Amino acid sequence: MAENEGSMGTSMHGVTGREQTFAFSVAASPSAPTDSTMAKFALPVDSEHRATTFKVFSFAKPHMRTFHLAWISFFTCFISTFAAAPLVPIIRDNLDLKQADIGNAGVASVSGSILSRLVMGAVCDLIGARYGTAFLLLLSAPTVFCMSFVADAQGYLAVRFMIGFALATFVSCQYWTTIMFNGKIIGLVNGCAGGWGDMGGGVTQLLMPLAFQLIQLAGATPFTAWRIAFFIPGWFHVIMGILVLTLGQDLPDGNLAALQKSGEVSKDKFSKVFRHAVTNYRTWIFFLLYGFSMGIELTINNVISGYFYDRFNLKIHTAGTIAASFGMANFFARPFGGYASDKAARLFGMRGRLWTLWFFQTLGAAFCIWLGRADSLPIAILAMILFSLGTQAACGATFGVVPFVSRRSLGLISGLTGAGGNFGSGLTQLVFFSSSRFSTATGLSLMGATAVICTIPVAFLHFPQWGSMFLPPSKDPVKSTEEYYYMKEWSEDEKTKGLHEGSVKFAENSRSERGKRVGNVVLSAPTPPNSTPVHV
Amino acid sequence: MAATGLLLGLILVLGCFSEIGVALISFSSLQTTLVVTATHPQRLLRAGEDKITVRWGLNQSLPAGTDSAYKTIKVQLCYAPISQVDRAWRKTEDHLSKDKTCQFKIVKRPYTTGNQTLEWTIERDVPTATYFVRAYALDANDHEVAYGQNTDAKKTTNLFEIQAISGRHVSLDIASVCFSVFSIVSLMGFFFVEKRKGRKAQQ
Repeated sequence: MAENEGSMGTSMHGVTGREQTFAFSVAASPSAPTDSTMAKFALPVDSEHRATTFKVFSFAKPHMRTFHLAWISFFTCFISTFAAAPLVPIIRDNLDLKQADIGNAGVASVSGSILSRLVMGAVCDLIGARYGTAFLLLLSAPTVFCMSFVADAQGYLAVRFMIGFALATFVSCQYWTTIMFNGKIIGLVNGCAGGWGDMGGGVTQLLMPLAFQLIQLAGATPFTAWRIAFFIPGWFHVIMGILVLTLGQDLPDGNLAALQKSGEVSKDKFSKVFRHAVTNYRTWIFFLLYGFSMGIELTINNVISGYFYDRFNLKIHTAGTIAASFGMANFFARPFGGYASDKAARLFGMRGRLWTLWFFQTLGAAFCIWLGRADSLPIAILAMILFSLGTQAACGATFGVVPFVSRRSLGLISGLTGAGGNFGSGLTQLVFFSSSRFSTATGLSLMGATAVICTIPVAFLHFPQWGSMFLPPSKDPVKSTEEYYYMKEWSEDEKTKGLHEGSVKFAENSRSERGKRVGNVVLSAPTPPNSTPVHV
Repeated sequence: MAATGLLLGLILVLGCFSEIGVALISFSSLQTTLVVTATHPQRLLRAGEDKITVRWGLNQSLPAGTDSAYKTIKVQLCYAPISQVDRAWRKTEDHLSKDKTCQFKIVKRPYTTGNQTLEWTIERDVPTATYFVRAYALDANDHEVAYGQNTDAKKTTNLFEIQAISGRHVSLDIASVCFSVFSIVSLMGFFFVEKRKGRKAQQ
């Protein structure tokens, strides 16, 4: 393919971080997209063709269609992963389970995706989010249908473990929306996609018992009816997988394989992507942080219904309704966290985003402490609602920052963060809710206290070009540019080959993270993020 | 947001009130005035197929008039201690409204003097466990006033085991395999068709 041959001067790009960076991609070939192609999209776009506005009720391709495919795929997987939880009273009788069997299956259901989220991160970077999502949906559908074969505790554990792999759609969902939407609104978009997907954990607590009742009414015995009920999430997987393959596309300009062949997007090497992900210390801070926002949220999905049932002697459907409302709060809480992150960025830049994250996560954890100590039902419900709002907003705010940690290894870092969430869930369930050393109430308070402490590392997230919670950005004229930070991931050799073009565009667009602060003096002239650059 | 919280709070408060109306009767306050026996063809029974013959009646050695308050008899299938280990949802509590020992109703009938017999086919939703049979005598307000069971006070004798149905069906297994195969085949199909289209476009 000849498109890139005419790109003279590519070896000079990104070195000083000052030159206009789009001339080469426009001059590459006569048929390459010019800026007039921005007009062919239904939504206004930036130079990377990412949408700069978010129209929730639209299904226009590619941006809004991607958004809806991404979040509904993730929602489907949340439904199937936690589908067993509300039916446990029936399942435990059918399979003769003991308390330990149920607890272990709960840990297994969130453990499988620790690994699959990492793999999905790499998959998205290498073959695109569309295939990643569709592969996972269609390959995990058989595991959901497998519930009809389960006959004992081991089988139950194995199937819940395998279904849990599907939670990796979180990574493909966030990655896919990050590719399609501009950095200024990415907090809100990621928050909506993530939050509405997480809602599946709440919806399943209402959907599965309803399906079970209807199937029983149709004449099945309870021990058969719950198995049939699992076909519903299974069908959702198949339907969504096919929709993603037929209606989705990887990037605003088309599909990854086609764009790689035409040379517009370069193929990357996994070893490089991996190295840049794991050597960036920010990745590991997010691994820890997310374990104590999403991690404790997943743990609560598994333990809260039983907690209310036992502590306050509620009826099982009442306890189930409370469990559902915890998960359903995700509908507005997580998007709100992302939106607050975006708003804070507009005023204070990246520092605003970091403070927003710290604030919500600490607040949520504090209410978790209160939940464990609440002695009366109304206070416990109030504490739980505030806890859910704080923690879920923190999840949204987390993914307002993660897209800026790296451009080259975005998928893998999203995957590692997501894996940290599941790891945190498995760990907290194991430490606080599996032994009889302390009651569930004490476990909740201790978990909240641990989360407060483990949120402090947000203060250590430092970006040389934007600063951190307490430190200002670097004064060095070279190091304080966005280009320097994102170009660090590419070697000179790779730059001469022009592999870094995506990062260049991203760096330009990420100047919005400087906020409105006066005194943020940098030697290169800042370019407003959305304007069409003048070609040199 | 606030509205949802309020609505939820209202539902829960109402739910609580509906439980307060239940009287706190304790099991230890009940007298053992009934004699219950249960016979079965073999020790291991199959749910949905085998039958248990249950006989109950007032203990004849008690003074007349003991059963003056009895209006209804409720016969239940109850878990033996061995089936309650590590299973808090089957726990025995003294307060009958919280007691989870007896979860399956065999029969509920108006009380008559003299012995009663019933041949009961084990329901298909009974789980695999070890059981005994207990009968409660209820008064006009549907409160327990006396009981009898076919085992001793420590619940160690005359226990029987029930084997539950698996809940699995061949038709369900086949449907499951069909849908799984469809899922994988459609994935492979799309993948190869797109790969072929990509190769054709390159040529």
